[in-house]
Amino acid sequence: MRWILSFLLLAFLATVQAVSSAGYKLLVVLEELADKSKYSKYLGDLEARGFSISYESPKSDKVALFTLGERAWDHVLILPPKAKGLGPLLTPKLLLDFINAGGNILVALSASQPTPSGLISLLLELDIHIPTDRSALVIDHFNYDTLSAAEKHDVVLVPRPDAIRPDVKNFFKGDGKGGEAIAFPRPVAQTLGNASPLLTPLIRAPRSAYSYSPKDDVDSVEDPFAVGQQLSLITTMQARNSARFTVVGSSELLEDTWFDAKVKRSVGMNGAPAGNEFKTSNQAFAKEVTGWTFKETGVLKVGQIEHHLNETGSEIVSNPKIYRVKNNVSYSIELSEYSWDKWIPFTPPTGDIVQLEFSMLSPFHRLPLKVAETTLTSTIYTTSFKLPDQHGIFNFKVNYKRPFYTNVEEKNTVTVRHFAHDEWPRSWVITGAWPWIAGIGATVTGWVAFVGLWLWSKPVPLKGAKGGKKNL
Amino acid sequence: MTDSIVEPFLKGNTGRNTRGILRLSILCLIAAAAIASRLFSVILDPWFNFRATKYLVANGFYDFWDWFDDRTWHPLGRVTGGTLYPGLMVTSGAIYHALRALTIPVDIRNICVLLAPGFSGLTAFATYLFTNEMSTSPSAGLLAAAFMGIAPGYISRSVAGSYDNEAIAIFLLVFTFYLWIKALKLGSAMWGALCALFYGYMVSAWGGYVFITNLIPLHVFVLVCMGRFSPRLYVSYCTWYSLGTLASMQIPFVGFLPIRSSEHMSALGVFGLLQLIGFVEFVRSGVPSKQFTTLLRGFVLAVFTIAFGGLVLLTVSGVIAPWTGRFYSLWDTGYAKIHIPIIASVSEHQPTAWPAFFFDLNLLIWLFPAGVYLCFLKLADEQVFVVVYAILASYFSGVMVRLMLTLTPIVCVAAALVLSHLLDTYLTMTSPDAPAEGASDATNGAAKKAIKQDGLRSMRSPLVGIYTTFSKGSVVSALTAYLLLFVLHCTWVTSNAYSSPSVVLASRMPDGSQHIIDDYREAYQWLRQNTKTDAKIMSWWDYGYQIGGMADRPTLVDNNTWNNTHIATVGKAMSSSEEVSYPIMRQHEVDYVLVVFGGLLGYSGDDINKFLWMVRIAEGIWPDEVKERDFFTERGEYRVDGGATETMKNSLMYKMSYYNYHTMFPAGQCQDRVRGVKMPDQGPVLNTLDEAFTSENWIIRIYKVKDLDNVGRNHTAAASFERGNKKKKTTKRRGPKVLRVE
Repeated sequence: MRWILSFLLLAFLATVQAVSSAGYKLLVVLEELADKSKYSKYLGDLEARGFSISYESPKSDKVALFTLGERAWDHVLILPPKAKGLGPLLTPKLLLDFINAGGNILVALSASQPTPSGLISLLLELDIHIPTDRSALVIDHFNYDTLSAAEKHDVVLVPRPDAIRPDVKNFFKGDGKGGEAIAFPRPVAQTLGNASPLLTPLIRAPRSAYSYSPKDDVDSVEDPFAVGQQLSLITTMQARNSARFTVVGSSELLEDTWFDAKVKRSVGMNGAPAGNEFKTSNQAFAKEVTGWTFKETGVLKVGQIEHHLNETGSEIVSNPKIYRVKNNVSYSIELSEYSWDKWIPFTPPTGDIVQLEFSMLSPFHRLPLKVAETTLTSTIYTTSFKLPDQHGIFNFKVNYKRPFYTNVEEKNTVTVRHFAHDEWPRSWVITGAWPWIAGIGATVTGWVAFVGLWLWSKPVPLKGAKGGKKNL
Repeated sequence: MTDSIVEPFLKGNTGRNTRGILRLSILCLIAAAAIASRLFSVILDPWFNFRATKYLVANGFYDFWDWFDDRTWHPLGRVTGGTLYPGLMVTSGAIYHALRALTIPVDIRNICVLLAPGFSGLTAFATYLFTNEMSTSPSAGLLAAAFMGIAPGYISRSVAGSYDNEAIAIFLLVFTFYLWIKALKLGSAMWGALCALFYGYMVSAWGGYVFITNLIPLHVFVLVCMGRFSPRLYVSYCTWYSLGTLASMQIPFVGFLPIRSSEHMSALGVFGLLQLIGFVEFVRSGVPSKQFTTLLRGFVLAVFTIAFGGLVLLTVSGVIAPWTGRFYSLWDTGYAKIHIPIIASVSEHQPTAWPAFFFDLNLLIWLFPAGVYLCFLKLADEQVFVVVYAILASYFSGVMVRLMLTLTPIVCVAAALVLSHLLDTYLTMTSPDAPAEGASDATNGAAKKAIKQDGLRSMRSPLVGIYTTFSKGSVVSALTAYLLLFVLHCTWVTSNAYSSPSVVLASRMPDGSQHIIDDYREAYQWLRQNTKTDAKIMSWWDYGYQIGGMADRPTLVDNNTWNNTHIATVGKAMSSSEEVSYPIMRQHEVDYVLVVFGGLLGYSGDDINKFLWMVRIAEGIWPDEVKERDFFTERGEYRVDGGATETMKNSLMYKMSYYNYHTMFPAGQCQDRVRGVKMPDQGPVLNTLDEAFTSENWIIRIYKVKDLDNVGRNHTAAASFERGNKKKKTTKRRGPKVLRVE
């Protein structure tokens, strides 16, 4: 009976987890509920993936991000409001607090609806800049959709993004065949500051794109906000606590019309010839971006961490608090990756390795972790090494931070002590000590022999007046 | 009538027994008085020794021996068993186990508290024995014991609860000297071995053992130079040196120092010299040729020169550790301040002020020269020791306040010699009949002999004895008055100066009632209850032991100042701006920073007053990054008010001390009561730290180190956003665009 119960419980847990690794409560902020229908496919996809969606207007009281100090939602999707502000419940400070509390936010911008100033200052805090002219949009005279924007060139067609570095996993490549295009109707460009390592552009504008401000025709052409690859169409920020924040430059991208729309390229790219009409990949791409933002992909979980003494003849005690210098130790860490609805074993992309640091103030060892075992849901990485000849308070540290993967920073503190007085080799084991041991032996023998001789020999009677004890 | 009753007890065998019992009871009373006078107020300090003792009692000797303490010197840890003098803890542990074996369950804390007073009683007894070796007068020993029992110079380190190495070390010092004198007098290997045993105990208890290591060889050297080499000397010294050195090398902290460091070389040198002289004497006794002895003398001289040259060579080449900074600072009082500020920063390492001698020793200090003079009159081997000891200790006590402790025993002995001499002279009931020549022989044979050696005509027929009762009475009563005053002074000093615990401050309210300022314990209790057990606390080293003991939290640095670099790191973090300090604190995993601030209460021992030492110590390691000059204004003033330098105002220590301080006062009246200055109305801004706790009187302030900003801003930007300042939009960029590179 009991096993059925626990099985049911497990099954229940599994269904709950099937949503997202970070929870299922999603708040969609949109001004008029009527607008819902514009995004019906996109939101339908989300609901189908198990999110329970609440739709609130920014002015409503229920939009509050925190109730009684606790985070009320797991994820927030902010669709561009018509009003100039987001209201007192969605101030930049509250949104930042929401991120600090671990909530994920997806913000969609639109060139036709000016971005609220609260959002702009939030983006500024995160070092994401958007054009000062709120109606500015990205235009590309080469990669536009000839069907819908033959004149204005403001529907930019972008191929699936490449990985930003060869050793970073690409979650947004679709099936990877190429030849697809994502339509960005009237996108708002973002540029990213250089300082923050947490920012990653998910998709960048083509090399020939530029930011154009319809109001300020001449100036924006002469001195555009930014051009080419500096323009980010979708920007991601993963905070140190792994909360995710995504800015999608074009809210229309998520609309039903663009999910189904046929587009036609002006010039060929990525092997796809120009002049063919084909369907956009917007729906699949939106799923990937949203899924990533709401922690359905790219989530790493640390399972068991174990380290133990690896000396012959010593019994294995798991995770001891103290080691001795020059001990041989083994360390293992269990890593899983969340992929849409299940935990799978984590394998780093080719060219990347998971490393272990053994550090005190600075690393004494930095070692690659090797795969020891793969279970259904996890990979166990392990390494063995000899502790340095330095006592102190050390950390086993796995510091795996890669773009698009949640941060893994695991620190296990152990004390490394010095040799105890009885752990040194004994003197007779050390060959260099033999002369000294022989010296001690000789002295002892000599002394005993001398005393024996002294006691054995008869004292010679003293002559003359020198008798008696000398008065000292 | 009374005479007839008392008389049988004072004569013959019974008399000796009576005097023995009397002496014993007097000694017991002295010991009792010594203990009692140390019980004015009880606060256990230093906490480290107590913690170590608890560890010893809980885990046994071997674990203590191999103890690696991971809660101090984070993240380096401390090989405690190998870097401390275990004598104190082992003594308490032994007493604890002995009492338990006798089925007396005593808390180890009580033993630790009462160890110092208990040993002060033993010190009084050891002083009695030592003085008795110096003088034939029966009262000298008792007087010396009484002086030793209550002299403030010794009480300063041995009040109840002062659980420091000195608590037992002074007893061991005096007792080792007693055994040395005994061994030298008798030429006995047994007494020499006993002396070595107690020397070993002393080595295990206190770093001041070096004083013995140098004093005894110096004594021997002086004796040899005086032509007093004798087999007694040879036997006693060689026994002491060989066994004592072996014993001292058993202490892990000392290890091979006795044969490798310069401080120990005099003992080794004198040992070698004695072998040479012994050999020469042996050969001379066999070969009576005059020329041969001259040759031998030359040989001795040559060997000595070669040995000395070798020593210098080995020191230069680094085989023998060169003189340490602490040693140099003994000769040049300004040395430490320039080269090793960490030593100079300790108040007890400062040169002694003149009044301190009178404060600590009162009337003994002016009896002291007279006592040394008396020793010159009767210059036997043991008196030479007193003279040598007196000269050496007087010098050292003038260099460092702390070394007053080593001077105190010899001052007590010398003063007792004088006083007993005076009392013996003036307190005899019978007046001499006539100034006859023969009278002197009977009364003072030994003195007579010494006097005869002096060639002075006026000393040939000394005046012996006092004739009038008036002069007897006046002198004796004056002396009694002095002694009573001495007792009064000792009691006053002990109760007022040496029994005020540093952790709890007492002050008087306007109505005369006592007001206790208990901020330290309040703060430590807060740490204990509100932080994780492994939260690392950064503070200046003065509070390290207390945090470790009373708050039970790991610290970065503590009162055991062996790692100058680590202390300088903390000094740098305190004296640099937040931008520099924050990475240091992150690297050392600091969770909380604790500062002591006395501005509100007028408590002068606070961190701002110690701040220059932090700066100096940090400057010693990073002369380019921390500069003492930057903390002084153009006119060379050390200011904390509106006129303070920018470096001062931006330093972490300044910011932590005065953060939010202006909110305590109405506008324009913010004032620092220690420095006596008016503070600006706008307080400093802290970006990387959060105020976590401030004690009732603002003496202790604790700050929590912020984590890195969650969304990757720097702390200044994040804190500015928190305060509600919006980032300015960059409307028009000037200059070339900054492109993002992946």
